[in-house]
Amino acid sequence: MASVEPRADGGGKWLDAHYDPVAGLHTFSSCVDLADLSGDGENRLVVGDLGSGSSGMKLKVYSGTALTSESTLLDLPAGLVAFFMDLHEPRIPAVAVASGPCVYVYKNLRPYFKFTLPGLEVNSLEQDVWQQVREGQIDPLTLREMLESLRKTAEVPLSVRSLRFLSLEAGDMDEFVQLHKQQPIRRQTVITCIGTLKKSTADEDGVSCLVIGTESSEVFVLDPEAFIILSKMSLPAAPTMMDVTGQFDVEFRITAACRNGNIYILRRDFDKPKYSIELSSHPVGLVRVGKNVVVGCTDESLQGFTQKGKKLWKAVLTAPITTLASMDLPTRGFQAVLVGLANCEVHLYQDKNLLSTIKTPDVVTSICFGRYGREDGTLVLTTKGGGLMVKILKRTAALDERESAPGPPASQSVRLNVPKKTKLYVDQTLRERESGVAMHRAFQMDLSRLRLAAAKSYVVALECSLTPMSSSEPLKMNAVVQGLGPAFKLTLNIQNTGARRPAVNLAVSFLYDEGLYHMRNPYMRIPLLVPGLVYPVETFVECTSDKGISDIIKRSSSFYKAGGKKFFIRTEAFRREDEERHCLAGRAVCVRRRKVWSTLQWKHCQQQEDVRQLGTGTLWSQKGDQGAQRSGHQVQ
Amino acid sequence: MGLFDKLAGWLGLKKEVNVLCLGLDNSGKTTIINQLKPANVNMTNIFIGAQAQDIVPTIGFSIEKFKTSSLSFTVFDMSGQGRYRNLWEHYYKEGQAIIFVIDSADKLRMVVAKEELDTLLNHPDVKHRRIPILFFANKMDVRDALSSVKVSQLLCLENIKDKPWHICATDALKGEGLQEGVDWLQDQIKTMRT
Repeated sequence: MASVEPRADGGGKWLDAHYDPVAGLHTFSSCVDLADLSGDGENRLVVGDLGSGSSGMKLKVYSGTALTSESTLLDLPAGLVAFFMDLHEPRIPAVAVASGPCVYVYKNLRPYFKFTLPGLEVNSLEQDVWQQVREGQIDPLTLREMLESLRKTAEVPLSVRSLRFLSLEAGDMDEFVQLHKQQPIRRQTVITCIGTLKKSTADEDGVSCLVIGTESSEVFVLDPEAFIILSKMSLPAAPTMMDVTGQFDVEFRITAACRNGNIYILRRDFDKPKYSIELSSHPVGLVRVGKNVVVGCTDESLQGFTQKGKKLWKAVLTAPITTLASMDLPTRGFQAVLVGLANCEVHLYQDKNLLSTIKTPDVVTSICFGRYGREDGTLVLTTKGGGLMVKILKRTAALDERESAPGPPASQSVRLNVPKKTKLYVDQTLRERESGVAMHRAFQMDLSRLRLAAAKSYVVALECSLTPMSSSEPLKMNAVVQGLGPAFKLTLNIQNTGARRPAVNLAVSFLYDEGLYHMRNPYMRIPLLVPGLVYPVETFVECTSDKGISDIIKRSSSFYKAGGKKFFIRTEAFRREDEERHCLAGRAVCVRRRKVWSTLQWKHCQQQEDVRQLGTGTLWSQKGDQGAQRSGHQVQ
Repeated sequence: MGLFDKLAGWLGLKKEVNVLCLGLDNSGKTTIINQLKPANVNMTNIFIGAQAQDIVPTIGFSIEKFKTSSLSFTVFDMSGQGRYRNLWEHYYKEGQAIIFVIDSADKLRMVVAKEELDTLLNHPDVKHRRIPILFFANKMDVRDALSSVKVSQLLCLENIKDKPWHICATDALKGEGLQEGVDWLQDQIKTMRT
């Protein structure tokens, strides 16, 4: 399968609608939302900008490509959601921004309501101690000692004021005490994440409750109209990311990823989590896809779990995850997960399959997918350098094809058409059981016969030398003779059929009758043969005799008549390392009535009657002649 | 106009033209077609006092027929919403001219309009025919609207070389700029055949 190259347009699925690298937006996925704030069918982008961290926190609203409104936020936003507060017409959502211990609700982009979480319990001993200081009973040094001892032993943690006091230098202590002793001690928690939960109906524009997760490991559900706490649930650790689904009055599930690396699932009417998932590394993103939960972890992996906490799959990614968001196209019934990676890419995963990769100019810090403007299927990204990117999914984008190789092939899910058992099949199995031995014997006998027949035909083939063979060098040769005579051109096409090794030190020699033929180059050295290439070696042959000579070319495809007769040339190549031991590859033998004539390499031998070529390549010339011994070639 | 044309006009034998009106949703197609219809047809609407406000998003498509001084128009007003855009290609064969309406204030969706235009121009029923295309860069009265030159750059109209095209900035609510475009279209159609 071809490797996946990340393209800027994600493989032809996305259109680049807008890119502003200097938009100055510093935000995270939890602080971005798309909502129709004016009721005219055009969704706006609402962003809680974190500014520089200590200043410049703003609530920005984008419409199309332009910033339409900006209002200052008092504190760093931890989360931002748009939700429907009431049933007034026209249906316009309100924007809730969570920062510190408060939730600020904006309606029509104007501050509407501020909800503060109830304070936490204060240590009574601490309270007494500060009371004493206020009344002047003890001095700051004593206060310090007592607070120190309280800090170590107390169950309820100290308030921020006491902790601050303990960190001061000796000289500042008095001033601090004077400044603060009159005010009562308060302990406040901080909101970590915020979400919405439909109250009673599952409509798009139904009234929703706010769900808040806090640092004190609690989850609150707030009523939208009166902002009273409807339900309070506690977790073993502080939640960092939440996903909420269901309706409050009917049945809901809150999946919270906590700071201790676990995920807890809360259900209605239970104060404590019902299920928990223990992850092997800390969660970075949490998204719900259908009934399953997809978690991105710090070990560069994406894991899928069921609602009840059973692990379904794990996909390993190529870079650390920066953010995770869900992609939901209800009209197409398509749900997937968008993963922003630290290597400037955004991957689209459906279960564990990578569907598309988008290359971005900068690392993406927040992803939001939804209806923006009038277009469904818009992807809004903000980058680390403060840029804003908007991409629109093409109407014709095919979202089912997979870009990458992993994953079972589609044909694996096709059921095999296993035929049903027929009566014939059953009868045959019975027969097998009954006459098994006889069947095996018959089969073995036939197999041996087949082997014998094959060996016999092999011997026959070797004897009549139909195929040029080579036992040590992987060479292939064929000869072509051109011309009508008495002058011919003989071309040998030699090919090294080995895979890697070149053939060296080879030479070609032609065996022919010197009286009948005159060859220009009866012996030729062959250059190094590169595997796979065909080397033509040419030589000219002239028939010097005017008697009828009949020779046949066995290996070529053409017959040529020489002065009315055919002639026959077989060529052979061999290595000249040693005159006694030669490797033969193919043979070229001038045969006159099946007689062999030697080449120049060997002593000229007289006419022989018969020639036999044995399987190992030994060429003997018979009928006794001393020269014949020398003309016997041993082939290794 | 020659004597024969005048005669044909009196006898009601005007040249019939099928025009497709395409564009993204909320770009102003239905409004423009209502404006193009001759005044007497719109008279009743004016009396009722509901002209521009009565426009609702077109579903599927609607067919309008009207006659101008020289031609008899049959306009197919196609819906521009995403789910109805695949209906467009079924009418390409019958269309003899195309009016493409663009919302010049919607910069975000200019790429989508370009994509739809490219799909239109590469469709086999349109690719090899010399159909005149009239572009209306609508909503020019909106504050941040793009000029017609900018719109033609963003849509890469200079790459259309085999078809006559023309772009004009219009305001469909007031009817400004429409007549210029329609006159051009009429000239093109008349010179197309005969």
